[in-house]
Amino acid sequence: MAGNFWQSSHHQQWLLDKQDLIRERQHDLSILTEDEYQKIFIFFASVIQTLGEQLKLRQQVIATATVYFKRFYARNSLKCIDPLLLAPTCIFLASKVEEFGVISNSRLLTTCQQVIKNKFSYAYTQEFPYRTNHILECEFYLLENLDCCLIVYQPYRPLLQLVQDLGNEDQLFTLAWRIVNDSLRTDVCLLYPPYQIAIGCIQFACVILQKDHKVWFAELNVDIEKIQEICRYIINLYELWKQYDEKKEIQGLLAKMPKPKPAPQR
Amino acid sequence: MHTMSALMMDYEFKVKTQNERVKVEDLFEYEGCKVGRGTYGHVYKGRRKDGSDNRDYALKQIEGTGLSMSACREIALLRELKHSNVINLIRVFLSHNDRKVWLLFDFAEHDLWHIIKFHRAAKANKKPVMVPKGMVKSLLYQILDGIHYLHSNWVLHRDLKPANILVMGEGPERGRVKIADMGFARLFNAPLKPLADLDPVVVTFWYRAPELLLGARHYTKAIDIWAIGCIFAELLTSEPIFHCRQEDIKTSNPYHHDQLDRIFNVMGFPHEKDWEDIRKMPEHPTLLKDFKKSNYASCSLIKYMDRHKIKPDSKAFHLLQRLLLMDPNKRITSEQAMQDAYFTEDPLPTQDVFAGCPIPYPKREFLTDDDQEEKTENKRQAQPQQQQAQQQQQPQQQQQQAQPNNNDNHGNPSKRPRLVGPHPGQVNTQVVPITSQQEFHQQQMMYSNTNQQQQQNFQQRF
Repeated sequence: MAGNFWQSSHHQQWLLDKQDLIRERQHDLSILTEDEYQKIFIFFASVIQTLGEQLKLRQQVIATATVYFKRFYARNSLKCIDPLLLAPTCIFLASKVEEFGVISNSRLLTTCQQVIKNKFSYAYTQEFPYRTNHILECEFYLLENLDCCLIVYQPYRPLLQLVQDLGNEDQLFTLAWRIVNDSLRTDVCLLYPPYQIAIGCIQFACVILQKDHKVWFAELNVDIEKIQEICRYIINLYELWKQYDEKKEIQGLLAKMPKPKPAPQR
Repeated sequence: MHTMSALMMDYEFKVKTQNERVKVEDLFEYEGCKVGRGTYGHVYKGRRKDGSDNRDYALKQIEGTGLSMSACREIALLRELKHSNVINLIRVFLSHNDRKVWLLFDFAEHDLWHIIKFHRAAKANKKPVMVPKGMVKSLLYQILDGIHYLHSNWVLHRDLKPANILVMGEGPERGRVKIADMGFARLFNAPLKPLADLDPVVVTFWYRAPELLLGARHYTKAIDIWAIGCIFAELLTSEPIFHCRQEDIKTSNPYHHDQLDRIFNVMGFPHEKDWEDIRKMPEHPTLLKDFKKSNYASCSLIKYMDRHKIKPDSKAFHLLQRLLLMDPNKRITSEQAMQDAYFTEDPLPTQDVFAGCPIPYPKREFLTDDDQEEKTENKRQAQPQQQQAQQQQQPQQQQQQAQPNNNDNHGNPSKRPRLVGPHPGQVNTQVVPITSQQEFHQQQMMYSNTNQQQQQNFQQRF
């Protein structure tokens, strides 16, 4: 569906308004600060990334899974479904949609267990608690909450085209690609179209590499204000990362996070 | 310290979602209204229970439980696609209790598999079928229009065949082509895996392009175009142009000797100058080993179509030839095909392929859950591919056993009033000619239709 982003469900339904996002998060932000909330999403983006890499998925699949994850919580509180269950569910669904081939239930489960035990023991002291039937049940809830919008446009393709247009600088491409990956830890994928995110990441990379492409940017005919906003999200992410030690803080944050509640006792 | 939450889902959230969720059986009446079944699942003809409209809907219950990859693909793609010649996904129902997935579509009364079958039967019974002169042209134009839309959105269909080309019956979209069954369709820019790795065998062999049979690893637009060429030929002659016995359809080996033999018997053996890259095909050595060019020296598409009363100097034949080029690189695109002179020659294609004339084809029959069906269903589950192969072969078998008075397709075509067509040049694609002066011509060829087993009904794909 590379042809028509403008008619896509991504463009028509899933570019959200910043005010809406704030409103939807009100419940969670009454318990967590904004920084804490973002740190939790940074953590689960890493969980999805690590699961995906362990399953040898392409970055495109991982990015799609991450966007599903963010879209679900853009409409729901963290308490609705345990993010530790939703993360592998997103990977499972994205791998089918992006046609990587179906990951077998047992392989997905084994990978979850290994990744939680070997890579995230600083966050979880117990083993991965869910089974296949949990993931399958969760998948239906995910699909419903995504309103069956499964095709997600990513910044990678426009990034490639734009860098080619700039004269194919390898260093710039590699850095901008990494920044796009990092941008999945911010809200930009919920707020801006992917080509704008790509431009924002290129601009950010240019600043870091001290490359002057002012003329090229000027000729792009994009809303520079939007690009600046995207850059600001990314700057904020890097600032947050600098003064934050996930290994020390995440257990406390996960404990503080809103949790699913059982049926009221009678 | 953080301890693992034992609860995966919030109770309040669960109840809230449950209350918002609409069940398909609460919204639609479809009991006893099954109209199709196959490896893809079951299709029912349904109506809204609340009577808010009187339209017919198609409810497709996807085979198996949960979200298979093909269910995911179909939902993901159809959620994004919107074109008058592509089936419109109205809604998805997820039934949490039995983990069934239901897709809601507009109901299409006809499809090319049934339409061609009807013509064959009529031909065998020597009964004329009254259809507007430009019907085949209108069908082809709309198929091309739909495929052009898919292709320009980087979607390949990959399984085009008459059963997947639906035609709307009476109603606001009367006579409109709808391309369906997108379960195999896929995005084809930057595939994450070589396309051939996912589904070893997807396209029904009769409609498979020669490059696929020679081991091409990637599906292309040209593969869909070949299938459209096959369908076009079948519409013109009522015979599947590359009909072939198929018993080992289950093989994951793309190379298929008999099917290639059939193609060469119609088309002639490809000259190297006509298809230079044929040498690069994975199965080219096998081809050289198994086939002798001289065996096909007298074969050509011109001769084949001429035998079926399609003249080599007709516009229809010229377009067919461009669609059925052996070299995929030389095959025309859907866009080029739509520009072909065939479509500017009278009669012009119409939005209603029936051009306002009475529809001679029977409505879909309801399938019953009797013993025989159950038996067949079990067999099907055991050998879905072979069942499909049988289904595909049936028209040929029937032809051999044609009996003049055994026409299972109710409705007596010979009693239809003869209408006279529009004056030349009066019809264009926008204006549907509704006139009692339609000129009908009798379709040539067509499937004979005896040997009616009840079985056949539910083997037909929706």
